[in-house]
Amino acid sequence: MLNSDPGRRSVRARKFSKGISTVSLAERENARNARLDALEDDGATGEGIVGDSDEEFVIQDSDEELELGVSAAKKRGEKKKGPKRKTRAMLEAERRGPITFASLLEMAGDADGGPAKEAEVMYTNAAVGPPQHSAARKWCSVCGFAAPYKCVRCGSRFCTRKCYAVHTETRCLKFVG
Amino acid sequence: MGHEPVIVVDNGGSSCKIGLAGQSEPYRMFPNAIGRAKGERQSFVGDQLLSYRDASSLVLKRPFDRGYLVNWDVEKAVWWRAFKSLLQMQPQDCGLLMTEPPFNLPSIQAATLQMVFEEYGFRSFAAMPAQPLSLRAWAAERADLPAAAAGVGVVVDAGFSFTHAVPLCDGRVLWPAVRRINLGGKALTNYLKELVSYRSINMMEETYLVEHIKDTVCFVSPDLKADLASARAGAHRLEYVLPDGVNEQLGHVRQPQPRERGKTSAADKAGREQVLMLNNERFMVPEVLFQPSDIGLQQAGLAQTIMDAVEAAHPDLHPLLYSNVLCTGGSAKCPGFRDRLYKELRPLVPGDIEVGVHMPSDPVLAAWKGASEFGVSPEYSQQAITKAHYDEVGYERLLNISPEAVKNAGPVYYTTSG
Repeated sequence: MLNSDPGRRSVRARKFSKGISTVSLAERENARNARLDALEDDGATGEGIVGDSDEEFVIQDSDEELELGVSAAKKRGEKKKGPKRKTRAMLEAERRGPITFASLLEMAGDADGGPAKEAEVMYTNAAVGPPQHSAARKWCSVCGFAAPYKCVRCGSRFCTRKCYAVHTETRCLKFVG
Repeated sequence: MGHEPVIVVDNGGSSCKIGLAGQSEPYRMFPNAIGRAKGERQSFVGDQLLSYRDASSLVLKRPFDRGYLVNWDVEKAVWWRAFKSLLQMQPQDCGLLMTEPPFNLPSIQAATLQMVFEEYGFRSFAAMPAQPLSLRAWAAERADLPAAAAGVGVVVDAGFSFTHAVPLCDGRVLWPAVRRINLGGKALTNYLKELVSYRSINMMEETYLVEHIKDTVCFVSPDLKADLASARAGAHRLEYVLPDGVNEQLGHVRQPQPRERGKTSAADKAGREQVLMLNNERFMVPEVLFQPSDIGLQQAGLAQTIMDAVEAAHPDLHPLLYSNVLCTGGSAKCPGFRDRLYKELRPLVPGDIEVGVHMPSDPVLAAWKGASEFGVSPEYSQQAITKAHYDEVGYERLLNISPEAVKNAGPVYYTTSG
């Protein structure tokens, strides 16, 4: 990304610029997509519960418990005496991980036709395209006001020297946002 | 059939609205999730979350992913509780009418059918997209609008997981014209969470609380340029006092208190309150719906989405469609949403066409009200699948899907049976 034509820069400048790592456009794109994914996160599986297994969330399928209005987990807490036995289906489900919409959509897209494929095509086509009537606006990644400048290293926007200082100190090349 | 009570569920990504068909209001509305406080074993299902006293560090597990119902483990627990404890109904004696997102995948529909008939044993079942139901309720509310009475309009459903613009004619969805922005209330909440965590206090694990803060302080700016200027001058500054966990659970808003530089005020010292400073976040967060490129999403904003949807419909319908744009969904409740949408949509539409942007009395409950009406109409009995029919032909035939496609549905259901 830095310099496609080495002949245009002196050796000294090149040595110096090696210390400044920049981020390629493709990497910026990846970071943007990762952030958009993070915005759809519930926080239940991510950093919300660190080191917890997901299984605690599984509610045992017993009608009486729910009928009594007692929380299933509480109930389970009381009867938690013997080791909990996992059935083969549970282990299988654990191995597979949680079902996501993306995986179901992919499976529907793999179909040779029929309603599944049709639904997948309709779903994909319904997503609205890029904006046509307005250019992307530029906001400061630190304070949120209009930002005329861009960080040369990571491409984040900033508005003033003050915000730039905050940016380099905290977020530059970290892609928190 | 036709005389049994029908349970109506507007099964949203954020909240579940449940009640009996024919009534004017749902019996209950509660988070469609199972929640648990961090580090504790006890979990709270559905409506229990409403009375849960400690909002801090509450983690919610939701049955929806990207707006589609994928996790029946969670949904099953929420529904059992809702049917038995809240409504006190036996599914075997009832019909069920539920809403489903547009373009629901057959594999998800198959799992739903299996659940409804094999797990719960409902007598009849129908799934309808929420948007035509909202328009139905709107037609009942505003019979004086010719377009609404004719069942023509664009329903803008700014939901929790995504935002749809759905054109309808004669109460039917014009499917090829439906347009979607992959942005909803959840993304807005997470965006606000990200902003305040960076600028003020780290709230990354307080999604539940941030959602409440968003509902309390956010508004849609009528004129962004002017509001940004006044925000710089401090006109929109607001302080949100975070809950201390003793006296209050959700915190409250207060006007900013002037303080001297470098000194903590008397109130701070006395109360040791944690205060979240909010300024332009208040309107920059909902702003994302009107221009998703602000957060790097390469999709058009709400106004152009509506225009795209209408343009895809027959030209003769355009005037009627533009005259009846109906805003529904939780994000539409943000103050100023309707006016801003009108302001953005008006310049895009040819001048001789009238633009009417409307908001029902309750944008969140519109779909449920329509569904409640639908549930007692003869149309329900015509459209519903009975248990006898399901038992006879199975979901493969009902959904017209091949056995391979059914395999996709398999995991969704069978993990739940353990």
